[in-house]
Amino acid sequence: MDETFDVLVIGGGHAGCEAASAAARLGAATALVTLNLDLIGQMSCNPAVGGIAKGHLVREIDALGGVMGRIIDRTGIQFRLLNRSRGPAVQSPRAQADRALYRKEMRATLEVTPNLHLRQGMVVELLVKDREIQGVEMQDGRKFAARAVVIAAGTFLNGLIHTGRRTYEAGRAGEPASIELAGSLRRLGFKVGRLKTGTPPRLDGRTIDWDAFERQLPDERPVAFSFSTDSISQQQLSCYVGYTTERVHEAIRNNLHESPLYSGKIKGVGPRYCPSIEDKVVKFSEKSRHQLFLEPEGHNTNEVYLNGFSTSLPAELQQDLIRMIPGMNEANIIRPGYAIEYDFVDPRELGSDLQTQRVGGLFHAGQINGTTGYEEAACQGLVAGINAARLVASRSKFRLLREESYVGVLISDLITHGVDEPYRIFTSRAENRLALRHDNADERLQPYGRFLGLVGDADWERFNSRRDRIAVLNHALENTRIRRSDKEYSGVAAVVEGDLGDSLTLAQLAKRSGVSAAVVRSLLPGELAQTAETADLESALANSLYSGYIKNQQAVSNRLNQHDSLRLPESFNYRGLSGLSREMCDRLERAQPQTFGEVKRVPGLTPAALSTLLVRLMAPSVS
Amino acid sequence: MNTIVALATSVGRSAIGVLRLSGADSLSILRELTQSESDPEPARSMLRAIKDPRDGQLLDQALITFFQSPRSFTGEDVVEISCHGSPIILRQVLDVILTLGARLAEPGEFTLRAMSNGKMNLTQAEAIRDLIDARSTGAARQAVRQISGELSHRLVPLKDRLVGLIVLLESSLEFAEDDLPELQAVEILEEINSLREKLAVLASTYEVGHLIADGVKATIAGRPNVGKSSLFNSLIRFERAIVTDIPGTTRDSISEQINVHGIPISFTDTAGIRRATGHIEAIGIERTHRAIADADLLLVVLDGTSELQEEDHALLDQARTSRSVVVVNKSDAPTFRNPFVQRPDSNVAPVIISALTGSGLDQLRAAILAPFGSVDPEPMALLVTNARHYDLIQRALEALGSSAELIAEKASEELVLVGLHGALLFLGEITGETTTEDILTRIFSTFCIGK
Repeated sequence: MDETFDVLVIGGGHAGCEAASAAARLGAATALVTLNLDLIGQMSCNPAVGGIAKGHLVREIDALGGVMGRIIDRTGIQFRLLNRSRGPAVQSPRAQADRALYRKEMRATLEVTPNLHLRQGMVVELLVKDREIQGVEMQDGRKFAARAVVIAAGTFLNGLIHTGRRTYEAGRAGEPASIELAGSLRRLGFKVGRLKTGTPPRLDGRTIDWDAFERQLPDERPVAFSFSTDSISQQQLSCYVGYTTERVHEAIRNNLHESPLYSGKIKGVGPRYCPSIEDKVVKFSEKSRHQLFLEPEGHNTNEVYLNGFSTSLPAELQQDLIRMIPGMNEANIIRPGYAIEYDFVDPRELGSDLQTQRVGGLFHAGQINGTTGYEEAACQGLVAGINAARLVASRSKFRLLREESYVGVLISDLITHGVDEPYRIFTSRAENRLALRHDNADERLQPYGRFLGLVGDADWERFNSRRDRIAVLNHALENTRIRRSDKEYSGVAAVVEGDLGDSLTLAQLAKRSGVSAAVVRSLLPGELAQTAETADLESALANSLYSGYIKNQQAVSNRLNQHDSLRLPESFNYRGLSGLSREMCDRLERAQPQTFGEVKRVPGLTPAALSTLLVRLMAPSVS
Repeated sequence: MNTIVALATSVGRSAIGVLRLSGADSLSILRELTQSESDPEPARSMLRAIKDPRDGQLLDQALITFFQSPRSFTGEDVVEISCHGSPIILRQVLDVILTLGARLAEPGEFTLRAMSNGKMNLTQAEAIRDLIDARSTGAARQAVRQISGELSHRLVPLKDRLVGLIVLLESSLEFAEDDLPELQAVEILEEINSLREKLAVLASTYEVGHLIADGVKATIAGRPNVGKSSLFNSLIRFERAIVTDIPGTTRDSISEQINVHGIPISFTDTAGIRRATGHIEAIGIERTHRAIADADLLLVVLDGTSELQEEDHALLDQARTSRSVVVVNKSDAPTFRNPFVQRPDSNVAPVIISALTGSGLDQLRAAILAPFGSVDPEPMALLVTNARHYDLIQRALEALGSSAELIAEKASEELVLVGLHGALLFLGEITGETTTEDILTRIFSTFCIGK
């Protein structure tokens, strides 16, 4: 072996960066191996972080001590809080990034991380002995020993790019595919499938008639991703919104034979929520126009990302189509859009720590597990990196529950159900949606980050002081009453629909429609009316808005948990139960649960398997 | 998966007894039993000699039917052997089958296998149990309806509309940046209310439905010697209770069940209520009070030949607070004069009968069912008969009600959705689960999503 590490991470994308940073900061001697060190933290698709549910993930990553939130806060050029008109649980931050700056900041952050060693090159072989990972072999012949390896190879595994009828092996436009590593995984017996994703063309901003588009302004008060960020320093830019026309659709329909999607060349399954323009035109032919977003790629570039126009049509046809869009009749394409097919490994083989069951010490994170999105990748990288470092240090596994985090929802979905299309997070995937807010990610998860060793003293102090401030506000909201005799009463009653009654608490008042945070603030007792921070007040108000619902949902879930104390007989024979697949039996035999409550916590069990077991346990005689 | 066997008909002497086998070895066991190489044609009954393969001894001539997987009750290979109904023959055949590698099925195991192979859902399985336990023709008819999945069939379109609503609201939340049609609160509220109406109609059938399935418990109570046991006997037309004119003859409560217009009614005759003269009678009176407390319906019997007494007034007070019928007996007696004076606060009209001659009994049977509303299962469509289903539909209604209120208060979609998802969960316990994936699939096929 040429060098020896504790943890080795393959890939320098969003999953790989989190994994390497976390493992190194937890004290493991860590290597990050990547094809091109200059492309660490590259945003291969749209230059944006966050969005509904994805923004929740980034804030959770930050609370746990990950890096994504801090980096986007330093490099974001348009911050917007989405769903502002709706309740706080479904609001989520999103930011356009300066693509080049994001890479630079990520690289710089990793460079100054102790215990972290960057290595350039391509991994061609996983070295495995007795079902335990030993290290990796590089294309240039070097061998690195490692006790834990995290694969975060993105779309590089057997990557195949399509534009029109042309196809070529590549991991991303302009970068080589990772063929040997993909072969190594197949040889180890992993169940491998194919997925597909796509990206739209990038245009020269100087050739666009911006007046033809509707301007979308950044938020006046940007909401940061990181709980450690005080303010957003980058100059904020606008995005622009436009539409395709029937003429564009007609031209696409006439050229479908040129599309690898419709000629049957692409076998991999693409994401339904991120369809190509070809798909949109074919599947929703009744729509006369489709929305497009023009997103600037950074301060120091003319490149503009044409969001909503993902395509794998031939490059020269893309150019013709773009020019049919009103305001783009002279626009030039800088980089054409393309589709890419790649290998993923069935995530049902993973434990909740993201370690594979097939090879001890081998972890998978990001697109290799069938997910899509930088945020989805980053949170897996973080969990895999934490667990790789803990494995090396002989510490217990770290896992997050569905009930407490979107990260937990994502991992539990992956390892339980597997994927048949690229997996994206949605708020509707979280049963506990009302409790999992972006603004309370710190309260939910930062204590874990501290316990793990990823949250430093300054951030921990900050967390505690914010928690105290919110507790003071919660108390004030519950205990301050406004009465008919108060001088403020008439002013408040005027903005609220319906009768307020003789007396109510601020918490009750805040739930009435028409009552803004500013109105509540003006009624806070003593100095609080002036000193309360808006973000703290919003969190306190959200707590009181949802508390009743969360209690009710708790009651429902208690009803569902009433059988938890049923005991399983000694050496219960799962194999004899019809309706339990072999995979479910394997998982149960490994976990050896004693009660039905423990059965439910065995990762990867399907609801059908659970009810089969429950019916069996409740049957009159269990032999 | 091992092969199970059980007697499918009840134990005891009968014309035929059916042994049922389920599992992969069913067919090979049948081959050994019939000593036949050729496989039986599926789903066709045929007469075969059943022999003990160990010594070739003839056990019975039986009608055998083979149901090939997956087209069988359990979804596995199933063999049914209709033997002659002698317990000895059945025992012998069963023993032979057990030596051929099958094992005795545990209670409910056939149904459990059918459920885990997706041959039926929980509602259908529950209905099979109800059918086996059915105590009247009305109950049996309802159970058959539910086995064919009729309650599920009725709920599925409603659940589908509910999913449609959830899809609308969820997409507006998840895809705030997409170019989706704007939500119309009024239309959503109308749809929720229309769903509530339809569910409420289904729920209201439980009032009658559970009576058909579970029957009515009617307790006959009154002072000693007012003719309770005579009435009990004439209602069940069977000399079960000992009738004498010595007060206090009935020391214990006795019950018997009859069908009144298709509804199973179980009558309980009780010890007369008076100050007890002995220890045993005191126990009997204590049981009477318990039977009154347990009853769905209280029949208060008064003696038409005597004045109302303290005990009568106490019973009539009790009758006012529960479902009850007041019966004045002994209309055949020359000294009969109705002592029951209708109280101004009650609309109870007494039914005047003679338990001895049977006069007034038809009116009494009608009056017994009257407190339960229109109980005529014949023309009724599907009824909700199971308490669990009723409870779930009620919970769904409550959940939808809370969503409707929230829309009226202009609450944000994620709050409105709490009730909608709750209702979906409750209905799903009857019809089968709807997963997040199902909802997402509906979203993506309904709307063009994606930047």
